[in-house]
Amino acid sequence: MKIKYYNRLLKFILCLFALIILSPTFIGFLGVLFPAFGYFPALGGNYFSLNFFNDLFLIPGIKKSLLLSLFTGFFSTLLALFFSQLILLYIFNTKIFYYLKIIISPLVALPHITMAVGLLFLLSPSGFIVRALSPRLTGYDRPPDFYLIPDEFGLSLILGLVLKEIPFFLLTSISALEQFPAKKLFNVGKSLQHSNFSTWCLIIFPNLYNKIRLVIFIVIAFTSSVIDMALVLSPSTPSTLSIRILQFYQSTEINSIFIASNLALVQVIIIIILMLIWKLIEMIIKNDYFFLFSIKFLPRKNYFLEKYLFSLAVFLIFLSILGIINSFFWGIGNNWYFPNVYPETYTLNHIISFFNENKAIIFNSLSIALIVSILSIFIIIIWIESCDYLSINKPYLEFLIFIPLFIPQISLLIGLQTFLIKVGFQNYLASLIFIEILYVIPYCLILLGPALRGINKDFVSIGASLGKTRIQILFLIKIPLIVSTLLTSFAIGIIISLSLYTPVYFIGAGRITTLTVETLNLATSGLREDLGVATVFQIIIPIFILLIVAYLNKKFTKWIF
Amino acid sequence: MQNIKSKRNFYKSFFNFFFLIFIYCNPTFALENKSQSIENNIKINDNWRTVLNKASGETIFFHAWGGAKNINSYIKWASKEVMQRYNIKVNHVKISDTSNVVARILSEKTAGKHENGAVDLIWINGENFSFMQKHKLLFKDNWIMNLPETNNMDFTSNPSLLNDFGVPTNGMEMPWGVSQLNFYYDSKYLKYPPKSAIELKKYIINNKGRFTFPQPPDFVGTSFLKQVLIELIEDKSILKSTYVKDRHEDLLTPLWAWLNDVTPFLWRKGINYPTNYMSLTQLVADREIDIGMAFNIAHASNAISEGRLPKTIRGYIHKKGTLANVHFLSIPYNSSKKAASQVFINFLISPEAQIRKQNKDIWGDPSVLSMNKMLPEWKNKFKNLSKGIATLSNEELQLKLEEPHPSWVKVIESKWIEKFGSSK
Repeated sequence: MKIKYYNRLLKFILCLFALIILSPTFIGFLGVLFPAFGYFPALGGNYFSLNFFNDLFLIPGIKKSLLLSLFTGFFSTLLALFFSQLILLYIFNTKIFYYLKIIISPLVALPHITMAVGLLFLLSPSGFIVRALSPRLTGYDRPPDFYLIPDEFGLSLILGLVLKEIPFFLLTSISALEQFPAKKLFNVGKSLQHSNFSTWCLIIFPNLYNKIRLVIFIVIAFTSSVIDMALVLSPSTPSTLSIRILQFYQSTEINSIFIASNLALVQVIIIIILMLIWKLIEMIIKNDYFFLFSIKFLPRKNYFLEKYLFSLAVFLIFLSILGIINSFFWGIGNNWYFPNVYPETYTLNHIISFFNENKAIIFNSLSIALIVSILSIFIIIIWIESCDYLSINKPYLEFLIFIPLFIPQISLLIGLQTFLIKVGFQNYLASLIFIEILYVIPYCLILLGPALRGINKDFVSIGASLGKTRIQILFLIKIPLIVSTLLTSFAIGIIISLSLYTPVYFIGAGRITTLTVETLNLATSGLREDLGVATVFQIIIPIFILLIVAYLNKKFTKWIF
Repeated sequence: MQNIKSKRNFYKSFFNFFFLIFIYCNPTFALENKSQSIENNIKINDNWRTVLNKASGETIFFHAWGGAKNINSYIKWASKEVMQRYNIKVNHVKISDTSNVVARILSEKTAGKHENGAVDLIWINGENFSFMQKHKLLFKDNWIMNLPETNNMDFTSNPSLLNDFGVPTNGMEMPWGVSQLNFYYDSKYLKYPPKSAIELKKYIINNKGRFTFPQPPDFVGTSFLKQVLIELIEDKSILKSTYVKDRHEDLLTPLWAWLNDVTPFLWRKGINYPTNYMSLTQLVADREIDIGMAFNIAHASNAISEGRLPKTIRGYIHKKGTLANVHFLSIPYNSSKKAASQVFINFLISPEAQIRKQNKDIWGDPSVLSMNKMLPEWKNKFKNLSKGIATLSNEELQLKLEEPHPSWVKVIESKWIEKFGSSK
């Protein structure tokens, strides 16, 4: 009787818990939905109406913004997926595969803005590549007047996003490959005289795809509504939809908040359209005839695909690394004018003065990230443990946690911000931490969830038979077993939190800034020295965290089963 | 039992440790208590003393454009000083566009939040000021006259200190600095810079892709458009009246014609524009463009001394003169820390803070104080300040154009965005 009561209580608490976690999503959505239909009494909108939808296409240049968002979102996801698979299939059977994770981890940890800045330094007409070739090869004694970056069609934005998402797809694919006997299947394909490429397409990828499908949809949602990268890499007359929303949101005119909310809703629709398109492509590819067709016609030997495309993919990764190295140089260089490949003088002054001025910001970013990551891990463990205890096994519950990643950040946050102003909630730090948790939990869960659930049940039952309580089992058996994954997801939590831009911008409302927001401020002001320094910090901190985790991993891992 | 207790103590001290680190390192929570007001020069009247007393221990949020590192450092220095002297904590909220802040205050007002507003102090001028004034978002009339340091200003011989874009300020905002639109170029490559809108047009067309301006609604970008308009328009006095669509729409035609001719020859064919005047500096340094512009007359010299521009850079203004204006500090009506804001403003307009601001190695923004009203020792110090190699002298800057009425700004901005800022 008592246990039943206890269970019910626990269930209730769990529901409450879920409700609290999900409430911002809900509120944010309402906060954007009402103004989108013209309802916001504080600003004089007392009735629901469709006026703003009618006026939507009257906004100058809005069609191009919409197309840009659709275009960049779709192609960056597609290309990033393609190139990541290409890299994998080529090195799957080689020794490099085992080192791949180490090579790409820092790249995954890199904030989007850093990658964008790196590209800017490389590819702009006064950037590294033109400098390296000038004036000897090109004859330019001053930068040529062509606009490679940012270009009119958002291609450089796509390039930036592809570079950033390739490592992410690689990482998730690697962990997906560990979940099924990929090696065996690969060898089967090879023994049937298939090339790496056709084996991958026909055997490995279909298996892999189901496991990374969720991640793909997250990437679609993210890339089509990205802000920080678009501010640097997208064309400015006009920009992508997300930037337009931001501009309207910041405008002085009272009506603009309605327009911004309206567009934020359109942004949601765009993501839905993109996902539907993706789903359509999935359906075509899943079709039996298509499969037969590709078995017949996929060339078994194709040097073009194998060699050239792979070198292109490697070149892309090389490009991102080069961009980062170049930003390092801007951080320590002085008097660096075109066409000099290297700065005339070097100085540490930029770095020292940046550190001195932004000590507080760096510390803020780190401490918020730490708190957010710890809390997220706590919540995940409690969630999984209590679900296990109550033997609730419903995947759609977990899907709820991923919802914030599918709604464009800007839509959700505008709604939340409007709500917070309305209620007059003043504690910026608390609300920021709360919101960041929403964005960090899904990523931690992707890593931690399978590990915690995958623990051999025998250990648990042995522990239980020795009379240990659940909590003791958790701390003495389960956590020591998964300590390495726990630490990794902890690090990922910190890194995700550090790289968040939009939540800090909206919820922090200028009162709380982090390094990423500061970097973006500097990026738009165009001072390369400062930008270089900010980038240096943005690279060093995540790598430092990864190193610490690697060290702790070695120290704490006692047994591996 | 014992074991559990000691464990609990351990956790407690563990958390305390981190909490202390948190407090120690994070200035937001810093518990500094050095409240020694060192105020000798000016005799303090009783009213001001009560303001000082009230201000001590308060924290204010200063919303100011944060895109330039030297200005940020200057504000940081000033914040440190008032912390030491008056025990006031100033948080610089670095914003990218002042109109966002104005929008925020307005939305607070419409939401009925008349106290404890998010903004305590704002760096402002022009259309943002007139917007705030129109919507009654500012602290009471003539508060600036209550501050002791206002005595160093001469309002009678310099009426621009009480007029913001031709709109009387009614003492609702404190002059902070003076600025004038000025251009700079690299004398190593360019001998005769174009010194009027007409010459500039020829220059742009002959030198494809070597000129651009910050994308409106950026402040400097819009000001550049206004500058061109003033030079092209026949009767400048019309610009002082409020914009009326039916009557004044045609007056803008020469500006749009000028831009129509010029835009295809701009940097990146006018498809992309730099975000603000700082990015222009980078483009000039890279020699992507030939001519840069800024509102701060010492901007180029400042950039030279920071190693961002080559030493051969020189400044110039147009023959007919260029736009000049004053930038101000103001307090929103719903700030609850008006005392602390006033004390901070008072410090910012003191000779000590103004001379530091005028120093080209620090910021280079000219002071608003009158030489005749200051104490002789300060007067000498101001006289001995070097102005920098690319900065124009006061004589060269004599031709100043007055700002058009703020109502023109929104029109120019939105028309530009419609015609040029949202391509096809």
